[in-house]
Amino acid sequence: MNLTDLFPELLKGLANFTPGNAVMIAAALIMIYLAIFKEIEPVLLLPIGFGCLLANIPLGGMTASEGMMGVLYNAGIETELFPLLIFIGVGAMIDFSPLLAQPRMVVLGAAGQFGIFGTLVLAVALGFPLNQAASIGVIGAIDGPTSIFVATKLAPELLAPIAVAAYSYMSLIPIIQPPLMRLLTTRRERLVQMDYAPKPISQKTLVLFPIVLTLVVGLLVPEATPLISMLMLGNLLKVSGAVDRLSKAAQNEIINISTLFLGLAIGATMNAASFLNFDTGMILLLGLIAFILDTVAGLLFGKLMCVLSGYKINPLIGAAGISAFPMAGRLAAKTANDEDPNNFILMHAMGANTAGQLGSVIAGGVLLAIVSKLV
Amino acid sequence: MKYNVTIRDRSYLVEIEDINARPVIAYVEGIRFEVIPDANPLGVESQIEIQREPVRANSVDHPLKDSEPAAHEVTAPLPGTVIEVFVKQGDIIEAGQVIVIIEAMKMKNSIRSTRAGKVAEVLVNPMQTVTHKQPLVRFE
Repeated sequence: MNLTDLFPELLKGLANFTPGNAVMIAAALIMIYLAIFKEIEPVLLLPIGFGCLLANIPLGGMTASEGMMGVLYNAGIETELFPLLIFIGVGAMIDFSPLLAQPRMVVLGAAGQFGIFGTLVLAVALGFPLNQAASIGVIGAIDGPTSIFVATKLAPELLAPIAVAAYSYMSLIPIIQPPLMRLLTTRRERLVQMDYAPKPISQKTLVLFPIVLTLVVGLLVPEATPLISMLMLGNLLKVSGAVDRLSKAAQNEIINISTLFLGLAIGATMNAASFLNFDTGMILLLGLIAFILDTVAGLLFGKLMCVLSGYKINPLIGAAGISAFPMAGRLAAKTANDEDPNNFILMHAMGANTAGQLGSVIAGGVLLAIVSKLV
Repeated sequence: MKYNVTIRDRSYLVEIEDINARPVIAYVEGIRFEVIPDANPLGVESQIEIQREPVRANSVDHPLKDSEPAAHEVTAPLPGTVIEVFVKQGDIIEAGQVIVIIEAMKMKNSIRSTRAGKVAEVLVNPMQTVTHKQPLVRFE
């Protein structure tokens, strides 16, 4: 064997390395940096960043369909298994009692979904086909698993940028929302104190809620069944009090393992050839618009409720009507508390926030139903 | 009122709105501080909460609902679990002073006294669950 024949063989990895790979590896390092040192959604950005790193090592074979990343993708993303497993964990961490104590908060959970439809229209106007536009709009659900679930069904080719947008903006909520909250509400509105219905929610109601909601939503919007049922299963594990071990497993092992694999598999789709293009930039921008539209619509609706109720409803809770639980609820409560240290709207904000979580799942299901008929 | 405070050859511009309000809102070089002086002026300990927020025009005058004369009690403004109690029977407290911390939805909420006065009885203990409007502290 000739040494000159051996060299190209040893250097084939480098020979296949493109400038695009270098850009993506830099992006991967930034994500890993943000995750570790800035603590921006570390549980997600770290695996996504590492997956992205792997996807840009030429000839490594991990992202081929028989490689580990390919196997994870086919098993958990294409089948929508991982987002659904994550939802079991999310459900086990949600407390619906503030919403059950104040059912009228449900309307705010609907208002917070405006970004989905607003962004969809915008994306269509920008020339995205309907299936892609709908998937981009779902970033406005501000719910990672829902976004991934819908995008996998409607436009799997856009999954990576949509997941990155959904998760990275979610961690930016504390930066995106407060300026909008202050800009769109007056001081008088932020000072509105709200009475909290003191009636405690019975155990029976808490147990019946996830079961009834699964049946009602499932029968009305069948496309939302997978998401809502797993969310409600997790919640039932928690509120039943009978399966403490399962509830703990859902809140820890199940959600953690699924999140790790989901992050890796999504990161591994971010190879230079498919990620570095104009559409990705547009999706990241549209995702940000979706977040802003949600917050603005929620606040405006909150203001309307405030006026209609004769200044009995603090419009800040409108901004909490999105899915990002519990961050959005806490932010609304904190903004009101900053304005007046004796003003506590936490339970109301959390009611709106859990309504937003339900609203985004149902909106995702409605979108799937409509768009898969039209495409 | 504006003061110039010099500490180790560096001077700081300190602005205090109302020295009698509790907490005292002070701006040191534009950074907002909430200071709750000890009831005993000789006491050295004071509780300082730092909010790393630059001043905004609309956050300047904090309304502190001090003394609603009829209120003999401070009640829980939201349901949750009391995790810390800062006052005890016989304490003389100021309006705006943090008296308990209630944890609700995994968020800690500082509950401040709505009036000044002498504590006749503390009605809650740490780790106790409270409902909305449950009395926390009764005044004499």
